[in-house]
Amino acid sequence: MIGGLTRGSLAALIALAVGILCLLLESGAPWLTVFPKNWVLPATDIVGEGTKTLLLWLKPAARLFSTLMSYPMTGANWLLASIPWPFLIASAVALGWRLGGVKMAAMAAIGLGLVLLSGYWPEGMNTLALVAVSVPLALVAGAAIGILANEYPRVREPVQALLDIMQTVPTFAYLTPLLVLFGFGPVVGLIASAIYAAPPMARNVLLGLQRVEAEVKEAAVMSGGTRMQQLFQVELPAARLQIMVGVNQCLMAALSMVIIAAVIGGFQDIGWEVLLTMRKAQFGAAMMAGMVIVIFAILIDRMSGTLAEDRRQFWDGRISIGILIVGLVISLSFLSTMGDPGSYQVLDPVADWLDAWLTSFTTANAALLTALKNGILFYVLLPLRIGLDQAILPFTWGFQWTTGMSLGFFAVSGVLAATLALSGRLTQGLVLLILAGILETGVSQLPWPFVLAAVGALSWVAGGRRLMLLSVVLLSTILFSGLWERALLSLYLSGAAVFACALLGGAIGLISAVSPLAWRVVRPICDMLQTIPLFVFLIPVLMVFQIGEFSAFLAIIAYAIVPMIRYTRQGLIDTPDEMMEGAIASGATTWQILKDVRAPYAAPTILLGLNQTILYAFAMLVIAALIGTTGLGQSIYLALGQADVGLGISAGAAMAILALISDRIVQGFAEERKKALGL
Amino acid sequence: MMKLATFTSVLGAASLAAGVAGAADLGAVDKPIKLAVNEWTGQHVTTHIAGEMLKAAGYNVEYVTAGMMNQFQAIADGEIHATLEIWSSNVSDEYANKISEGTIVELGDLELDAKEGIAYPAHVAELCPGLPAWEALKNCAPLFASAETLPAGRLVDYPADWGTPGADRMTGLELPFKAVPAGSEGALIAELRASTERKTPLLVTFWQPHWAMSAYDVKFVDLPVGEDACFNDPAWGPNPNAVNDCDFAPSRIFKAAWSGTAETWPAAFEILTNYTLAVEHQQPMMGAIDVDGGSVEEVVAAWMAANEDSWRPVVDAATK
Amino acid sequence: MSGSDTPAISCQNVWQVFGNNADSALKEALSRHQDPEEAAKELRAKGLIPAVQDANFEVKEGELFVIMGLSGSGKSTLIRCISHLLHATGGEIRIEGEDIVSASKARLIELRRKTLGMVFQHFGLFPHMTVLDNVAYPLRVQGVKKKERQAKAREVIELVGLAGREDHYPRELSGGQRQRVGIARSLVTDCSVWFLDEPFSALDPLIRRQLQDEFLDIQAKLKTTIVFITHDINEALKLADRIAIMRDGKIVQIGTPADIVLNPVDDYVREFSKDVAKGRHANVASVMQDAAHNPYGADDPGLRQDMTLDAALARCMDLYDPVPVRDGAGELVGVVNPADLAAALQVEGAE
Repeated sequence: MIGGLTRGSLAALIALAVGILCLLLESGAPWLTVFPKNWVLPATDIVGEGTKTLLLWLKPAARLFSTLMSYPMTGANWLLASIPWPFLIASAVALGWRLGGVKMAAMAAIGLGLVLLSGYWPEGMNTLALVAVSVPLALVAGAAIGILANEYPRVREPVQALLDIMQTVPTFAYLTPLLVLFGFGPVVGLIASAIYAAPPMARNVLLGLQRVEAEVKEAAVMSGGTRMQQLFQVELPAARLQIMVGVNQCLMAALSMVIIAAVIGGFQDIGWEVLLTMRKAQFGAAMMAGMVIVIFAILIDRMSGTLAEDRRQFWDGRISIGILIVGLVISLSFLSTMGDPGSYQVLDPVADWLDAWLTSFTTANAALLTALKNGILFYVLLPLRIGLDQAILPFTWGFQWTTGMSLGFFAVSGVLAATLALSGRLTQGLVLLILAGILETGVSQLPWPFVLAAVGALSWVAGGRRLMLLSVVLLSTILFSGLWERALLSLYLSGAAVFACALLGGAIGLISAVSPLAWRVVRPICDMLQTIPLFVFLIPVLMVFQIGEFSAFLAIIAYAIVPMIRYTRQGLIDTPDEMMEGAIASGATTWQILKDVRAPYAAPTILLGLNQTILYAFAMLVIAALIGTTGLGQSIYLALGQADVGLGISAGAAMAILALISDRIVQGFAEERKKALGL
Repeated sequence: MMKLATFTSVLGAASLAAGVAGAADLGAVDKPIKLAVNEWTGQHVTTHIAGEMLKAAGYNVEYVTAGMMNQFQAIADGEIHATLEIWSSNVSDEYANKISEGTIVELGDLELDAKEGIAYPAHVAELCPGLPAWEALKNCAPLFASAETLPAGRLVDYPADWGTPGADRMTGLELPFKAVPAGSEGALIAELRASTERKTPLLVTFWQPHWAMSAYDVKFVDLPVGEDACFNDPAWGPNPNAVNDCDFAPSRIFKAAWSGTAETWPAAFEILTNYTLAVEHQQPMMGAIDVDGGSVEEVVAAWMAANEDSWRPVVDAATK
Repeated sequence: MSGSDTPAISCQNVWQVFGNNADSALKEALSRHQDPEEAAKELRAKGLIPAVQDANFEVKEGELFVIMGLSGSGKSTLIRCISHLLHATGGEIRIEGEDIVSASKARLIELRRKTLGMVFQHFGLFPHMTVLDNVAYPLRVQGVKKKERQAKAREVIELVGLAGREDHYPRELSGGQRQRVGIARSLVTDCSVWFLDEPFSALDPLIRRQLQDEFLDIQAKLKTTIVFITHDINEALKLADRIAIMRDGKIVQIGTPADIVLNPVDDYVREFSKDVAKGRHANVASVMQDAAHNPYGADDPGLRQDMTLDAALARCMDLYDPVPVRDGAGELVGVVNPADLAAALQVEGAE
């Protein structure tokens, strides 16, 4: 409490004051709304030149590394390409049996059978070769980072920041420097996917090591082990389960990067196929190629998932050997008559049918879909972006927004805010006023001093002075790099999408928590949304809603809603039994239990879900640029196309900064909730 | 504008180099020549024909998939040796940099007769009578309007990283259209497809040769024929106050190679330099692949067998 | 081994302070205040936590020294200072005469391999190793050959009564069995100083009593010096040669079980012994008076000085005059008044 105000209301008051000041001075001082061009530092050029010099300096070592990596790469490639498919399928089935019995064996057989029938077998094998080399690289690098952070608590914070950067800077932003550094070819894709896949491994190794019981660590010390002995003989093995979770996540991340690595090319993998079909807008074929990745992802996820289970049991190994022998016999006896597995395009009719279905669907529902799109655009997205005063036109809402209406709008908001404040909810009242101001102005046209003040104030409430300083300094770098307007556009689009995800995902998560039946329907959809290459979804969205913000909005939601659903459900069903029993014993109804017991207890988990949703939304923003958005995502493509290292890195960094600040603020609130609950 | 100027000078340099012809050494026959395979079918056809010609000359050829935008670093490093279908309308500054560095050399025109323009699917002519004359667009604009462009009409322009030629035309001709960047080629095609299937109005920036031209019956808007003056002198053309009030500058489609190619494989360098391919040949092959589902290898092999007299002389000139 | 004049463990002015810059803050506070209480106050005011304040005691070779206190009293921190799992912020700790606060890393490893053993409250077993591997681990880190270390481990496993379970994993054992593994692991290197941090607290009462008895048997056989932590006064009284009672980081009393029970220094200690059946822990010697100056009656119920108060009182239920107390050889060593016996047992009851 400062001067009788809580932290929250003080922060809101400051933001509001800055906002009002900007609004009043707008006409006299135009530099308040639009950051003057001549204040912008030539940061992108400096970054570009700096990076280029650095790259040149690193190039010899990087090229050596490329050469080294090309051996395992070629080896894995050759191995997977030259092993006849019956034997490879048999190996996967045998492994499936050993790890998970009939169910997993059948999954492997059906999955790989589909890959074979789709005609994408050779490309699929190339993809697997890429994953087979990049994953060990990511695992070793991730484990090393995790161990380092565990051993030296002082580097823990910088390492966390580094991991955040590795995960939030869009891959497209650093493809160009990687290309210069490591030369053309699959090695770049390899490294890009390793960079993206290493952080989950590092985080889980660190978490696992930290979660090893203190007494187990002490027992290792008292046994007289050296630090190395303690680490490798006791702590790492004791953290095995958590580390295996990391391995699993690492595999999935590497696989999801495959498609992005294909943008560079140099490798005839499945990602390249997806890109080719995408370019022709062949939804069916793109789905087919995308399906191959999904199959790999599901197989790898489920098989490696068993490694993370405690007390796992192996199934009879003799049957596995039997399956292998059958595969070998088939391979040997039909070797000459098998032909090229790439020519078994049995599933093409399915692809055609999918295409035709999409066409008939969009044609049949054209009017409805357009109405939906226009409705959301007119009444939600446009006002949010450019403000009520510009979005409300006779064409959109049927009337013209006048200054009088603006004043009326502010007056109504003021009355509401005053009512709230008088009833003791001062903070809510102030926030309401701020929101009214934002709605009137539009996110993309907010005065920059207000954005700095508001974000700073929010950071202060969430994480204290340090976070405030971090947020303001980082935001200022965007301001001075000249990417501010684009950053605001990105902020608006992802903000709108996150908001929609929070509402929609929260509702779906709630329903899934209450009804197991609903979860059974929702879960596979979530799995698919997270593994299928996102490009594939762009086509139907485009066909239905055309190029533009609305399509991008939908594509972002489709991807970013998943963590919101998962975490909401998880948080709600994880309420401790004793708490539930206490509530039931008090005679609470199901709804009351949900509202008064489960929801407050789940709040920190749900906030973490929101946090993930925000990061996902920013990640998707780059891909959404492929269907025409105008924010930072587009800058990154421009940079990629023009091989403009400076712009790419700056835009990527701006994106990462937005993501990082949102992440820290939400985490700050989550921590606070957790502490309040004594967790 | 900068880009255009760069390419004119590049063109000048290239035509000098292309003047030399005659038998040359084969060079390092055992070392494979790596040709870039980009993201579109026409380029696959172009590249495979060139590759087969090199094979016929006795070379070892490898096809390497490479992103069109990202291939130049690889060519400069000698990791890919040639790329055979570069569109002047759609080439990164990186290329100009590499040319001025001397790490990439141009191999002259492919002589594929390309055209870019403002285009529409045929059914749009019924919705906006007066097309293909560009003046018709002045009154039809509201027809093309969408939520994001109101009250102006909507023009789906090239992806932002290809430049903004469509938007430049709209400004130059003072047409009430707002250009929306497509984001990707796939997005352009999806727009064409959706418009054709639903019979909705659509105006796009597009080019030929492209398989979609025939698949979706795409027509070009007739714009005032472009002259150099149009791009420099505001007074020229229908709008006395602006440049760009005319059709697109004609696109060049050309070839480029690693700077060491001529030295390593002299004859191959000559073959690639003299190699040309006409739209009348390329477009049917694209149809055979994208519409009829043939494989690039088969379609090209059939064409090579049927048209030996059109490519064999180029190979012979360089090797005999 | 060191001579009887060198204590097995000695702690002098040991401090453990948690927080930022604890080292310098402690030095500063000590330079300013003579009284440790004042110094601790200053540290607390700075936001630091003095978990152990000015601990001073010695443990004799072969002695079973129990440190007792409620949770948060600093007893676990103190044992971790002595075993150097925590680096003491201030003071001097000597084990068999050697200063371990300033010992090198290598020397500490050496000490742990040869001299020290430790048992943990929640067992601290390695979840990924079998019983045999757990017990053999201290030998493994020393590079002892597999056959040799397994043979030695089997011996110790036998000693703690777990023979036949060598190949089980910790998660397959009951709590009592797990702690037997913990004990076996700490004994496998023939340590001479043995730390036990609330080893039986996490066990059921029945199992706890059984393990206490077995522990006393083992101790009788091995005669190691032991520092034993507990929060259970009955356990402390049952096992200890001497007990140190801790409260809020300070040692408030050190004494034999009888001292603690009969002469608590303050209400805190008295509160502890309130529910203790004193008759079973104090002996006649603790209430006995000098024979030379005190006359005694004709009745001789045959009291011995090492008899518990309970037993003594049972023998003189209907006697009112002082009675003689003799030692094992029958020599007169003192006199005790039966009324004093009864009074000693009722100290708490009266309040």
